[in-house]
Amino acid sequence: MYRLIEFLRRTYVTILFVILEIVAISFYARSTYYTQARLLSRANTVTGGISTAISDIGKYFSLGRENALLTERVAQLEQELTMYRTVMADSLAIREAAELQYEYIPARIVSNSINRTRNFMTLNRGLRDGVTTDMAVLSPSGEAVGYILACSERYSVALSILNTSFRTGGKIVGDDYSGSIEWDGVNPHKVQMHELSKYADIKVGAEVVTSGFSHYFPAGMLIGTVESFELDRTQTSYDVVIRLAVDITKLYNVVLVKNIGLGEAVQLEEEAEHKIYD
Amino acid sequence: MYRTGEYILLFATSVLLQIFFFNELSLSSCFAPLVYVAFIILLPLNTAPVWVLLSGLVTGVLMDLTMGTAGLNTIATLAAAYMRQPLLNLIFGHNNVREGGVPSESRMGRRHFVYYFVSLTVLHNAVFFAFETFTTAYPWHQLLRFVVSAAASVLFVWALTRLFTSKLSAR
Repeated sequence: MYRLIEFLRRTYVTILFVILEIVAISFYARSTYYTQARLLSRANTVTGGISTAISDIGKYFSLGRENALLTERVAQLEQELTMYRTVMADSLAIREAAELQYEYIPARIVSNSINRTRNFMTLNRGLRDGVTTDMAVLSPSGEAVGYILACSERYSVALSILNTSFRTGGKIVGDDYSGSIEWDGVNPHKVQMHELSKYADIKVGAEVVTSGFSHYFPAGMLIGTVESFELDRTQTSYDVVIRLAVDITKLYNVVLVKNIGLGEAVQLEEEAEHKIYD
Repeated sequence: MYRTGEYILLFATSVLLQIFFFNELSLSSCFAPLVYVAFIILLPLNTAPVWVLLSGLVTGVLMDLTMGTAGLNTIATLAAAYMRQPLLNLIFGHNNVREGGVPSESRMGRRHFVYYFVSLTVLHNAVFFAFETFTTAYPWHQLLRFVVSAAASVLFVWALTRLFTSKLSAR
């Protein structure tokens, strides 16, 4: 007994260290990007205010560039609006479809990491502003940059496209084959598209947009341009390197997009799944 | 307790700097310095190992909660806290460590102090990046990321230790 007590007295720090490390490692191993977003979302109720103030200082220095981009975007949208007005005046069907599909909420990034393998964005809009999980996050000029994972009352946390857990469907403009967009954790200006059929019409410089098959992004949102591509090991599909259209490191404003029909679509899919397996 | 006010200030400074400054730096995907380990490094030499370990636990959990890393910082900070005592004994000598004082150039000598804080900072970074990456893909990029971040961490931890110890007596 004395020997046991003496052994414990000499080694209790090591034993405690091993126990604490095992607990921490098992918690980390079981955590997902969703757990991490929830943690960040809770932390933002305390740190969000200070992050916003710091972000305001950074934003002040980029106002000129932001203004130029927004002015350019407004002009582009005005032009599109004029075109749609002309078309919709003649078509009842188009009017109904265009009115219902998506809702847009502008937001500001208060915290945005790029130097981790799992990067997140904290936005200054939360539940009280109508933000919900699964909303798409787009740059002011309409490029896909992430989607919402967790919301608190005043803030929300988005999974950045620069997160190794990010996945969405993408396709080359003008082509029907789609692939899976993901980030390898290396270069914050490039993402990869895998499983793109070898029959796809691909060339360097071609634009890559969202396919619309994912629940998060509307179809046709720009992701970037093809920088290089090669057939994968199976020789049946391409591995594509895409240069992102937006510089995530210099992003301050974003637009959140709610797919109004998403809940209904998900419910239908679940019902269909139950019917198959029941 | 020994210099409680100064250590509370050091804890707050290193944690707040990490959360609101270093975590927000978007210079490069390779540049991710971890400076809050300065608090563990600068704890008094004769602090009981169990208290160092518990300080590491509190610091790591706090960083995990604010960075959303779900255990990663705790794993790295616990490892640094546990290895602190053996490192100090190895570099500075068991008897010198027992005499206490704030780890600094004036207390340990420049060479011993540099060996000590560089080893602990690099160890902390190594554990952090090994667990964060946990893949053999892109080994050169991961190595570059570790080297750049560890070098930056050493530089900023050194600056913090200078600030903290400049106004304190060696013992």
